[in-house]
Amino acid sequence: MSTGFSIAVPSKGRLRDEALARLEYAGYPVAPPKDARSYRTTVAGRPEIEVAFLSASEIARELGSGNIDLGITGEDLVREGLPDSHDRIDRLLGLGFGQADVVVAVPEPWFDVDTMADLGVVAADFRQRHGRRLRIATKYWRLTQQHFSQTHGIQLYRIIESLGATEGAPAAGQADVIVDITSTGSTLKANHLKILSDGVILRSEACLFAPKLESLSPARKAAISEMAGALEKNGKPR
Amino acid sequence: MNPLRSFSARADIETILAELGADRVDVPVLQPADPFLDTAGEELRRRIFLSESETGETLCLRPEFTIPVCLMHIGGGYGPRRYGYVGTVFRQRRAGSNEFLQAGIEDIGDGDRDDADARSVADALSVLQALGVKKHAAVTLGDQAVFNAVIGGLGLPKAWALRLAHAFGDHGKIKTALDALSVPAPVPELPADILEPAEARDRGALLNALRMRLRIAGLEESGGRDAEEIADRLMARFEAATVAPDESALAVLRAFLALRAPVAKAVGALSDFGAAHGLALGEVISAFAAREGAMQDAGVDMDAVTYDAAFGRPLDYYTALVYEITAPDGAILAGGGRYDRLLTMLGAEEPVPGVGFSVWLDRVAAARGQG
Repeated sequence: MSTGFSIAVPSKGRLRDEALARLEYAGYPVAPPKDARSYRTTVAGRPEIEVAFLSASEIARELGSGNIDLGITGEDLVREGLPDSHDRIDRLLGLGFGQADVVVAVPEPWFDVDTMADLGVVAADFRQRHGRRLRIATKYWRLTQQHFSQTHGIQLYRIIESLGATEGAPAAGQADVIVDITSTGSTLKANHLKILSDGVILRSEACLFAPKLESLSPARKAAISEMAGALEKNGKPR
Repeated sequence: MNPLRSFSARADIETILAELGADRVDVPVLQPADPFLDTAGEELRRRIFLSESETGETLCLRPEFTIPVCLMHIGGGYGPRRYGYVGTVFRQRRAGSNEFLQAGIEDIGDGDRDDADARSVADALSVLQALGVKKHAAVTLGDQAVFNAVIGGLGLPKAWALRLAHAFGDHGKIKTALDALSVPAPVPELPADILEPAEARDRGALLNALRMRLRIAGLEESGGRDAEEIADRLMARFEAATVAPDESALAVLRAFLALRAPVAKAVGALSDFGAAHGLALGEVISAFAAREGAMQDAGVDMDAVTYDAAFGRPLDYYTALVYEITAPDGAILAGGGRYDRLLTMLGAEEPVPGVGFSVWLDRVAAARGQG
């Protein structure tokens, strides 16, 4: 028997279904859990490969703490959920599903605002005009801050943490602009929001991630890269 | 351990502050986070320790003293007062300690700005000296008001003036802003109902079209940007796209930012600069000179003070004087400045002048070894 390792897979929805389909297509069919309420199983006929069903954001956390060897989850959750994710996690492979962009969107009638630089100018005298800072509704505060403060040098804004229906925040008067995830842009459009021309913060998709660990045994490393290789060779099932 | 952290050392520091005539103030360690994030910006969020009260109020461990002292001043409804403090501030860092000992004086409400500014610099130097930093402490002095006067005199578009003013003191940001300014911004793509009135410079029709668009988007009553603001900026962009960027204005600005002189020669250098480029700097130069005189009267060793035109803080509540005091190895021992815009930002109903400084006591302890 080859060396064992563990992989975490999203526990529900399309991400789960697509991830399981890709694993099966790559020659790693996941056995249904023995107990329907259980969140743990193995690859069929390969009891040494543990499979854990976790929520997509929990997978990001578990990758960060190094508790799992591999994880399939959205890149947005890893970049947002973990500080220094580029130093701590390897993105082994994009899996071609679960695509969505994290974007900066402003009200469509802001015809004078097309770029981050334009937004920076608006932010600069926002307090003078409105008695408060420009407000950004988002659940991605880490990515927002990196994009605004570090990439574009925009400092004068406030993040309003939003836990759902972020795209409705401007019309509700809760925020002026938003940073949110979008796959087709149709929800933004329906809410009269537009994406800035340099407002794509991250093009996210479901990816195979592994913690950067020095201490893995060579046998375990080989078993892990065998799975990654199989997933890479066997693309999207038709 | 830093010898200045002992109880007796803290008592000594309180005595030093009291001898300078400051009222001792106790600032709670736990502070509401909003005033800090509102004034200093979201970048601070990564660098402060946030917590939450049972009722959901966002709190933080105080990252500095100026804002809480100003809030206490506003809350107490006090007249002019000088506050002295010593205590720990908390900042998140990747490496090294997250706790720093600070002492300082905030001078709030004194309308005689020259005297208050001079006293602030003199007091900061006195504190350092009393703590054993004997020689070679260098003062770098900048002035936001001079910078603003130069930008104003160059006739740059308002939006650009604002952007440059916010970048002031941050060399990287200033350079980015200057580079961007030297390229004309293209006019954005617009639908016909907006483009036509904008091209015709028909403000009334543009406002109507924008109001219609805002109504459709459900933003009419949202309390955010309105049609006037969008129309103003849009018209300004059409103007800017037809006017070539003024290369000579940018060259003058770059020359200004390169000015650096012993403070005794700064007034002469600024006058020459203003005259050479036809800028009316008389008012800010006489304010600069008056402050310089007051600093001399306050006993500041003027040979140790250098004026640096590019020195500033990229925070929009600093209004004129900013300064820092460094050890021979470049470590910043103390920083200060005038923040006449801060108290209204924090909720004061009338403008209240303020100037203050903080001493980084951990660095002072290290610098004492350098003699």
